[in-house]
Amino acid sequence: MTTELMTSAITLTSVTKSYSTTAPAALHGVNLDILPGTSTAIVGPSGSGKSTILRIIAGLEDANGGRVRLSGRDVTALLPEQRGISMVFQRPLLFPHLTVLDNVAFADRAAGVSRAQARKQAREHLEMVQMGTFASRSPQSLSGGQQQRVAVARALAAKPSVLLLDEPFSALDPGLKDEMHAMIASIRAAVNPTILFVTHDRDEASAMAERIVVLENGQLLQHDTVDHVFHQPASLAVARLLGGKNAFAGVIDNGVHHSAIGAVAIDGDVGSGRATLVFRHEAVTSTLRHATSGADAAALATPHADAAACQRLGPRELRGTVTAAVQRGPRRELVVRVGDADVHTEAAPGNLLSVGDPVTVSLPCEALWTVPA
Amino acid sequence: MTAMLSRPRRRGVRATLLVLPAVIPVAIVVIGGIGTTVVQSLGLMPLVGTPALSVKTFEGTDDLLSSALLSLGIAVVSTAIAAVVGFFTAVLIISGNWGGRIVGALSAAAVTVPHLVGAASVGLLLSDSGVLARIFGIPPESWPALVAGPTWFAVIAEYAWKESAFIALIIVGTLATRITSYDETAAVLGAHRGARLRFVVLPLAAPSLLVASTIAFAYTLGSYEVAWLLGKTYPEPLSVMALRLFNSASLTARPEAAAVAVITLLLTAAVVVLAMLGLRRMRAWQ
Repeated sequence: MTTELMTSAITLTSVTKSYSTTAPAALHGVNLDILPGTSTAIVGPSGSGKSTILRIIAGLEDANGGRVRLSGRDVTALLPEQRGISMVFQRPLLFPHLTVLDNVAFADRAAGVSRAQARKQAREHLEMVQMGTFASRSPQSLSGGQQQRVAVARALAAKPSVLLLDEPFSALDPGLKDEMHAMIASIRAAVNPTILFVTHDRDEASAMAERIVVLENGQLLQHDTVDHVFHQPASLAVARLLGGKNAFAGVIDNGVHHSAIGAVAIDGDVGSGRATLVFRHEAVTSTLRHATSGADAAALATPHADAAACQRLGPRELRGTVTAAVQRGPRRELVVRVGDADVHTEAAPGNLLSVGDPVTVSLPCEALWTVPA
Repeated sequence: MTAMLSRPRRRGVRATLLVLPAVIPVAIVVIGGIGTTVVQSLGLMPLVGTPALSVKTFEGTDDLLSSALLSLGIAVVSTAIAAVVGFFTAVLIISGNWGGRIVGALSAAAVTVPHLVGAASVGLLLSDSGVLARIFGIPPESWPALVAGPTWFAVIAEYAWKESAFIALIIVGTLATRITSYDETAAVLGAHRGARLRFVVLPLAAPSLLVASTIAFAYTLGSYEVAWLLGKTYPEPLSVMALRLFNSASLTARPEAAAVAVITLLLTAAVVVLAMLGLRRMRAWQ
């Protein structure tokens, strides 16, 4: 069995980076604390500085300001090879002049380990990614997914305390991605390095990470648990970046948010004043409403008696009409017109809803959140 | 038989027709030139007398062996120096820093200088009354015989200088777009600079290094200007000998010149074959 790796915390303090004096800064004073042994995803639009953060941590780019520490040790001035960090890139970048086995043995060979010993250890890492039978093959003979597995094994063979992944699975099809996520999970169970990875894929971020860092224009918008960044975003920008489709500007008065969809009571201490109500479309479902149950009306008062935390909540059911329906795999996404606003929801299981159907939209109180307007 | 060719076959025929205008002149020059030389060297195309198949031109040409060894020596040494210097020059250029850019510009400039001009410059620089001797204030009688001396120093230096620039640019051309990625990959796997050079850069550069060095070797073995200008008068390299015999007042020397050219050709072909065999064994080439 492969030896367990030492794992490091990552701390960025006021890290800034500009690639030129004329272009906008790639990173603006980013502060970040990654706990040892955790898996953290960095998400954000293209050009937000995601890869730059990884490259600065790896030592492949110099920051213009700020410090990078690994478990308290300042590594800002160290060369990449001195940091004990491995990185897997979007392209596998397997060395074409080496076999699969020798690619994985590379780190040991470069460190002066004998070829036989390096290959012995490399076989263990290849087995870890289920590529043991491909040891003698050339990288060019492998599929993209297989090459990326070998790249991960090669990175692990360097025994890093931190493993950085820069969109390593973005070029793979969904089935292969799922396999890769399972592989990373098994690697974490076996060796548990600190993992920091960049992805555009929100599903991938939530599948592989416990925490998510949201970046935009070189600024860190939020660093929190997966559940919080999706359901309790720090800002409207975070909600949008993570695919949130429902955002209704309004005013909070006495714990009730008033907006175009009506008055919606919010759980917790939400203060008062201008605020935007946000909730995930995946968290709200629509069911067919029979014509006899009344006309469309926003914000019906139907308290949840069975949810202790939501005892005082009033309106959480909306009535509306389906104006658009899109099937996404097993899910059916709907746009429901409620008053003067469009609410994005999903059809409840068994409800084959179509455009024009009258529906009731259920808003679980746990899904409701407000962000500063 | 089908009246129409299949699509892949039609494409193949079309491709062949498209390259023919380039292939035909080259074939005429190379095959025609080589064929004429071989026929002439075998006594089948004498300028005077009756054609008769014979290998006496190969046996009767004086100093053929020593000239061949001399030519090989000059070509091997200058190519080896050019390969080493060219490789490290390429590494410097690829590094992308200011020094590398300056070296890159100098290499590009060196490639454009004709060998004849280069030889004249090296002669002016290294001769006993040349620039270097004057700069150091060394009298001609104390200056080593770098030009036309027993070591063939000036000849080798000129070839090594020119061909190292050529080899460097070939390597840069093949590595420039991908070496940074592989170098970064190796660095984040813990490989220090020396290990990256040994385990990544050199193996990836090896195919282009071998091909460029083979071209440089073939050129050095076959060209005559530099050795003619900067070398000793005796013994003479094969190329200089071939030129001298070809221009000889004795018309009977033409077959001997052709024989020397054929020997040069065979040596070059042997080295090219060895290089191609070596190339096929390289993983980075596959």
